[in-house]
Amino acid sequence: MFFHIVLERNMQLHPRFFGRNLRENLVSKLMKDVEGTCSGRHGFVVAITGIESVGKGLIRDGTAFVTFPVKYQCVVFRPFKGEILEAVVTLVNKMGFFAEAGPVQIFVSKHLIPDDMEFQAGDMPNYTTSDGSVKIQKECEVRLKIIGTRVDATEIFCVGTIKDDFLGVINDPAAAA
Amino acid sequence: MPRHREEDDDGDEDYDGLELEEEEEEDEGGSRGGGGSRQKRGRSSFFDDYAEEDSQEEEDDEDDEDYGSRRGGKGAKRKKFSAARFVDDIADQVDDDDEEEDDGDGEDGFIVDNGTDLPDERVDRRRYHDRRGFDENDDEDVDDLERRIQERFYRPQEDYDEEATDVEQQALLPSVRDPKLWMVKCAIGREREVAVCLMQKYIDRGSDLQIRSVVALDHLKNFIYVEADKEAHVKEAIKGMRNIYANQKILLVPIREMTDVLSVESKAIDLSRDTWVRMKIGTYKGDLAKVVDVDNVRQRVTVKLIPRIDLQALASKLDGREVAKKKAFVPPPRFMNIDEARELHIRVERRRDPMTGDYFENIGGMLFKDGFMYKTVSLKSIIAQNVTPTFDELEKFNKPSESGESDFGGLSTLFANRKKGHFMKGDAVIVIKGDLKNLKGWVEKVDEETVLIRSGLKGLPDPLAVNEKELCKYFEPGNHVKVVSGTHEGATGMVVKVDQHVLILLSDTTKEHVRVFADHVVESSEVTTGVTKIGQFELHDLVLLDNLSFGVTIRLENEAFQVLKGNPDRPEVALVKLREIKCKLDRKISVQDRYKNVITVGDDARIIEGPSKGKQGPVRHIYKGVLFIYDRHHLEHAGFICAKCTSCVVVGGSRSGANRNGGDSLSRFSNFKAPAPVPPSPRRFQRGGGGMGYNARGRGRGGRGGRDDSLLGTTVKIRLGPFKGYRGPVVEVKGDSVRVELEMKIVTVDRNAISDNVAVTTPSRDTSRYSMGSETPMHPSRTPLHPYMTPMRDSGATPIHDGMRTPMRDRAWNPYTPMSPPRDNWEEGNPGSWGTSPNYQPGSPPSRAYEAPTPGSGWASTPGGSYSDAGTPRDSGSAYANAPSPYLPSTPGQPMTPSSASYLPGTPGGQPMTPGTGLDVMSPVIGGDAEAWFMPDILVEIHKAGEDSDVGVIRDVSDGTCKVSLGSSGEGDTIMALPSELEIVPPRKNDRVKIVGGQYRGSIGKLIGIDGSDGIVKIEDNLDVKILDLAILAKFVQP
Repeated sequence: MFFHIVLERNMQLHPRFFGRNLRENLVSKLMKDVEGTCSGRHGFVVAITGIESVGKGLIRDGTAFVTFPVKYQCVVFRPFKGEILEAVVTLVNKMGFFAEAGPVQIFVSKHLIPDDMEFQAGDMPNYTTSDGSVKIQKECEVRLKIIGTRVDATEIFCVGTIKDDFLGVINDPAAAA
Repeated sequence: MPRHREEDDDGDEDYDGLELEEEEEEDEGGSRGGGGSRQKRGRSSFFDDYAEEDSQEEEDDEDDEDYGSRRGGKGAKRKKFSAARFVDDIADQVDDDDEEEDDGDGEDGFIVDNGTDLPDERVDRRRYHDRRGFDENDDEDVDDLERRIQERFYRPQEDYDEEATDVEQQALLPSVRDPKLWMVKCAIGREREVAVCLMQKYIDRGSDLQIRSVVALDHLKNFIYVEADKEAHVKEAIKGMRNIYANQKILLVPIREMTDVLSVESKAIDLSRDTWVRMKIGTYKGDLAKVVDVDNVRQRVTVKLIPRIDLQALASKLDGREVAKKKAFVPPPRFMNIDEARELHIRVERRRDPMTGDYFENIGGMLFKDGFMYKTVSLKSIIAQNVTPTFDELEKFNKPSESGESDFGGLSTLFANRKKGHFMKGDAVIVIKGDLKNLKGWVEKVDEETVLIRSGLKGLPDPLAVNEKELCKYFEPGNHVKVVSGTHEGATGMVVKVDQHVLILLSDTTKEHVRVFADHVVESSEVTTGVTKIGQFELHDLVLLDNLSFGVTIRLENEAFQVLKGNPDRPEVALVKLREIKCKLDRKISVQDRYKNVITVGDDARIIEGPSKGKQGPVRHIYKGVLFIYDRHHLEHAGFICAKCTSCVVVGGSRSGANRNGGDSLSRFSNFKAPAPVPPSPRRFQRGGGGMGYNARGRGRGGRGGRDDSLLGTTVKIRLGPFKGYRGPVVEVKGDSVRVELEMKIVTVDRNAISDNVAVTTPSRDTSRYSMGSETPMHPSRTPLHPYMTPMRDSGATPIHDGMRTPMRDRAWNPYTPMSPPRDNWEEGNPGSWGTSPNYQPGSPPSRAYEAPTPGSGWASTPGGSYSDAGTPRDSGSAYANAPSPYLPSTPGQPMTPSSASYLPGTPGGQPMTPGTGLDVMSPVIGGDAEAWFMPDILVEIHKAGEDSDVGVIRDVSDGTCKVSLGSSGEGDTIMALPSELEIVPPRKNDRVKIVGGQYRGSIGKLIGIDGSDGIVKIEDNLDVKILDLAILAKFVQP
């Protein structure tokens, strides 16, 4: 789920950046630092949408670095248990497949794939129904439900299922092509 | 007096009866008011007591002199002994009612004794005593009766609490005066029948038979026990019995062993069908087996197990051919394939088991069904307790039949082995047995065996008390759990599927499915790798195995490792027990890739041919020209891929150049040679470039006995004092002091208080004032950042990271590498470049940087880490060891941008061909030590690592390699093999042999005999007969 929230961060800036473009420098550094990070509490910071305020800088003794408290608005993405997501399949193997929904990686175990789908090894490993009508392979788009998340310092890993109504492949570029 | 005597008599006798009764109940009454004399007798005289009971029986025989004589003078003696010695009393009493006792004892005892149970027998005796007591006392006066009744039925409460002590038990043991046990042989399977017959005979014949009891034991075939005083009595009793062979010897059971005959095996193993057991001995030692049938009588069980049969060997054995004995070779467990057996012309009979009606395939006396072997073994040869089958084993068992039942067998065993405190408050549980089956709830309280659970269901009492055995832990998909026992102990993962009591987890580390019992798991948010170490071996170590093959440990199991063998042709995984691992291989070696670039451990390599083509990752181990590459995307074998070095290319340059130059390799080749004379020493170039860092560094670190000024220009870190942790270049060395230029000021510190810089310097460092300035403050931040980054790069990152980062990294951190156009754009986004690089391309870094990063990219370049890297450009070398390699020869031929060219000379890494490294490259594992004794035209066995052994004929030996034609007569393909991979096939008698050693080397002869380790050879040339060591004889194959 996406949230638009305000977060705060203390930015350290090297004195060489002080000058006319200080604010720009600060913001660019903030983006570099923050975007794409993940925290267990808020999830992934997807994008900074604006700066609320930049506080007064504080010069650190001995280093000449300056610390600015920066409040910024950002879009965060955090997956929840039970959430329905659309994701792109990135890897298929005999244990299931991995899919990505933005920065979140989701694993769908073969136990959580409908029983009628069988793993087909080969050049393009995939899961296919017995009649061949549905095929899950790399680059497929699938809709899945998250059944569990594990939050680490640097990533969120989810386990999903497509063994439910209205879940499964929603678009297969390979098939369309 | 007579009256008195009578009374006395009565009293005593009664007493006796009670005493016996009491003793039999095994709750003793010192406290009971039985009179002073009794008190005095105490426990110790119990023996007498018991003996007396026996002696009264002995009395029956009426040929016991002892008693006979005593009987004569009983009147006088009696007074004297009555209190102290019970025996006399009894003797009297026996006299009185000899007849009756005979009857009673005989009948009752006999019947019950057949039941093999001692306690029963006792009860019976008591009954007899009781009855006798009443018979006797018909005409007793009321007081007496009352007293006796009191005594008999009144028991102080506390008596019940007492348990028979050891001493009492001792007292019950049989003695010399007791009747003996005789072992009588009878027809097999007729033991019970014989016993019953004897009982009937006793009933019919009455006192004629002077035996006491007959015991038929279930577990003892072919024998019954008869209790009697004399062998003659036994003989008399068994005379004419159909199932007893009259001429059989009757054996006396020694007194000591008498108790063993009737004692019940206390730890009787409750073996039932479908229990899991393990074999204790033989080929199947340690193997899991399932009980199919239990024969308690014969103490044998029929188990079903996965056969370990070498069909080849079996075939040759059945053919009557000689089987080469391979010692200590245990065939791997494999399901029997009958068709395969038939192909090998093994006679397979299909027979019906008369008992069960099932059909079994019979091969050489072994029974098979559904691929399993059915084996009847002694109870003693199996372990039934604490058997916890692992999942792999269970799975194997399930394979052919595909039935889920066996899980239950396993489960029952599991429950028995549950630890204490298995359930904890708050655990989610499910009821698995009884009326409430499938009820879910949460543990509220654990009270020994019973667990109070809260179900939250309406209409059910809350909390609900349930027996622990009826509960099983319950998990839902998505739970994050930790395995607390079993093979996978320590692993964590997310529950993917719940299949009854079996959970399927997705392991956090391996991203593999792990099957565990719900019982073995607790909920936990912890993320661990599980056990990663057994003994000295860790996960992902390169190990040398017994058979000289090698591999990387990729998984840990119970006391065993799964090893990915060093076989580049196909992934081969072996389960290796700890003892089969010879040693850990931890050699720093390097090899050359396809384009002769040096690959060392840690370099990124891409596989460009073979089955794993296209895979890429850091090289973790190198051995015998085989690389073990770790590819995160590769989910099998823990990410390890095995490849030949010649089918790989180094990606992004070798560490040995970029990174090692300063650190490892420099110091390494300084080990070989003095640092000074290395002519194209990297620092020489550096000097010209204006960087004195290297020069000084080389001396400071690798160089021994460096001059004082060797420190000059070195970037050092201050270890002690107020400037601890600061870094800077040394500007002056004076005696014990050095002057270090910190960011802004130059300070004086003690010489001992500095440490050499560990980091590699980039040339830009010295020239950039800025970077120096920023260095120092950056350091503190660097330390915490590193752990942060390492996981990102190495293992922590999920594919998504790499997906975005891998290309990034090349671009971002190889700013100088001449690359495709996009790279230039990226350079701006690269913190390293906009931070410090002095030769930075014109353009305002900030603004470019601003536009460059997409969210993904910003993230990809390691958040947080990026900036600090910018400040410490020289660190990038070590931190991203393999990434930056602009200077590396690995990209020869590629056009260089001006900037990179200017750096080229300055980079020590640019000299991969320095003598030092050259030596290194060659450090061969497999030296050219060709064993001299290999000669052409001999039959050898080839053991190529990771392949099955094969025989072949050496065709040519040159330069330490042998040209070998495969096949026993050399008709197959010709391959090259190293002597270390070859083994001479020992010749047999009458073979033509070639002498490969000693003074007759090269001669051909005929082995006419073998004597121990010597062979008797008739040399063909001169027909001499020589006795030679077998080791220097090889089977000769005519070319």
